[in-house]
Amino acid sequence: MPKEILSLNNLSFRFPEDQTATLQDISFAVSKGEKLVISGPSGCGKSTLLYLLNRLYPDNCDGSVDGEVLLFGKPATDYAPGEINHRIATVFQDPDSQFCMPTVEDELAFTLENLQIPFDKMEARITAVLELTGLTHLRHTIIQSLSGGTKQRVATACTFIMEPEVLLLDEPLSHLDPYTAKQFVEWLTELQLKTQLTIVAVEHRLDSWGTFFEREIQLGENGCLVKDHLFSPKQPILFPERKSVLLPQTALQVENLSVTIKNKQLLTPLSFAVHRGEIVVVAGPNGSGKSTLVKSLCDIYKPTTGTIQSDGTGYVPQSPEYLFLTQTVQKEVAYSGSSNPTEIASLMTRLRLETIRDDHPFAISHGQKRRVAIAAMLADKRPVLLMDEPTSGQDTAALLELFELIDQRSKEGTTFLIVTHDMEFAASLADSVLLVKDGELTGKFDAKDVWHNEDLLASHHLLAPKGVARFAESFA
Amino acid sequence: MRNLLHNMNPSVKFIAVTISMLTIAFFFNPWTPLLFWVSILLLQLTMSHINWKLWLLFMLPFSIGAFGYLWTTVVFGADTGGTIIWSFAGINVTDEQWAHALSLSFRVMAFSSLSLMFAFTTDPVKFILSLMQQLKLSPKLAYGVMVGYQFLPVMKDEFTQIQQAQRLRGAVVEKHSWQRILSMRRVLIPMLAGAVRKAERSAFAMEARGFTGEPRNAYYRPILLSRMDFLMSFVFLTILLTSCLGGIWLS
Repeated sequence: MPKEILSLNNLSFRFPEDQTATLQDISFAVSKGEKLVISGPSGCGKSTLLYLLNRLYPDNCDGSVDGEVLLFGKPATDYAPGEINHRIATVFQDPDSQFCMPTVEDELAFTLENLQIPFDKMEARITAVLELTGLTHLRHTIIQSLSGGTKQRVATACTFIMEPEVLLLDEPLSHLDPYTAKQFVEWLTELQLKTQLTIVAVEHRLDSWGTFFEREIQLGENGCLVKDHLFSPKQPILFPERKSVLLPQTALQVENLSVTIKNKQLLTPLSFAVHRGEIVVVAGPNGSGKSTLVKSLCDIYKPTTGTIQSDGTGYVPQSPEYLFLTQTVQKEVAYSGSSNPTEIASLMTRLRLETIRDDHPFAISHGQKRRVAIAAMLADKRPVLLMDEPTSGQDTAALLELFELIDQRSKEGTTFLIVTHDMEFAASLADSVLLVKDGELTGKFDAKDVWHNEDLLASHHLLAPKGVARFAESFA
Repeated sequence: MRNLLHNMNPSVKFIAVTISMLTIAFFFNPWTPLLFWVSILLLQLTMSHINWKLWLLFMLPFSIGAFGYLWTTVVFGADTGGTIIWSFAGINVTDEQWAHALSLSFRVMAFSSLSLMFAFTTDPVKFILSLMQQLKLSPKLAYGVMVGYQFLPVMKDEFTQIQQAQRLRGAVVEKHSWQRILSMRRVLIPMLAGAVRKAERSAFAMEARGFTGEPRNAYYRPILLSRMDFLMSFVFLTILLTSCLGGIWLS
């Protein structure tokens, strides 16, 4: 029997402001060298569980703990603040808020200073960890200039420099696109082989991990342990099939559009047309001009040349709350004043906003915020909707809800242009695909022609959707 | 030579600048600030390599302010006596009034160029590290400021994004500047909501890497005190003394 290093006995946890416990009666143990994943729907308390293992909770939230948390055979409460953190290290989900120093080297040094490592040992440890993680070439790079995937690698390097025994991962892939996520998992697999580290991860996007984990613990909606079993590789989410509802009328006609800002040409002249009810996915590598294209289509950026003809384009940013200007959902939808009360009432019903009409737009869930944003755009008579990365950081339930939402709207004649990296999502929805690369439009393709063309996908940093066979069948 | 001001220990520079400001504040003759201002400019010319174009741009508002002081003191200043040196359009300017006016505007110039010298020759990260190492600033505060500093570019991006999104909603751009400032509220609320979340995440990330806010034993980048720093403080003190004594002697 391998040695147990972490164990939970009948653990329950309740936040001071909540009536019911977030975690209920959880018991399991982790042995040395194990690769374990904790899964479950959003809000089931999986992150909370992780924070109890690295002692961020209960100290930071005054929550009440029942039961026992043993870390290396000693109750968690017996450790001094900061004492356990170099043995149990953590990588968090948001690549943008994990760093406090300008360069990679400084960030690593910050970690060593926290551990009170003497000055003459620092240099050697920094060089060694950069060597181990293959990040030596980034030593003097400014962290904020790195891509999300590389930032997560730097964050991981910062944990490795502490020479931890356990590595906790809090949804480390949720802000990465599938292509980058796959590379990150491959990189981490190699590191784990070298170091034989124990890994405990919290994750809802299990399909990106392949066969990395050995064991899976499932938490239920109510914070109970549902299953503790061997891990089996997960299939991506199966979206329902949809019928395309293309109408003959043109909703958006773009001719020769180009954008030059501050003498830099961000988009070279491009032309395409989109029908009413069509769902178009805009895809391409990071920084290829997808966002610029979308923003120039809805008039945030002024086109330098060319014309855009449309019935009115609306924009839903990745954080829908950027759009909100008023105090209630009802006022938010009615803000522009271009729809009459009957139209607004009908929109509110169709988008299921009636029950939250008097709530503050900042106080509702992410999915609800997005529905409010869409309702506001439609109420403003903008039947062509541009969505920027709506899939980023969403769990299965949220993605299915999003799918449903877009499918329903398109049946009513709304046109969608969706920027996304998530090819499974794209494959399930798209009628056509706009591929963008280096500010140039490679072309507008029929969706069914794209998913099999591995070369075309790879040259745009995209992964072929898993289960591509299913799509082939449905199009055959 | 041209790196001297840049390489100076930021804490020592900070103390030298503060002492100079406090001292100059007690001299009311026009010569002291003038001498001090000219010496700071000379210092900057010989011991730093700054972007003078940018410097001029920053000095512009201060120069306008200094001229404003000169003008208002000459025209509207209380009659303090002394001999009239010139008069026009019914305004009599006495020598004392003129001295006060010059003293005030030179003071503005001296203070602003001193502050700009500090700002232009000091790396903010090094300054905070030095405050922590030499002046025993608490690491909690120091790294807090550092995180904020890393967030600035992100916040700037977010600000433009929110503004763009709201303009799309038809949020009217107000005509008057005071109205525009009031309508900033709409951009600031989503931004602050995001900032609070980010701040909590950063705090967690730092704590998870063993940061407790306790003073630390060793630094990877020790900001040292060298002989040069003593020499430079001596230069600052000499400038200060010369301008003080020179001012007294000349007036």
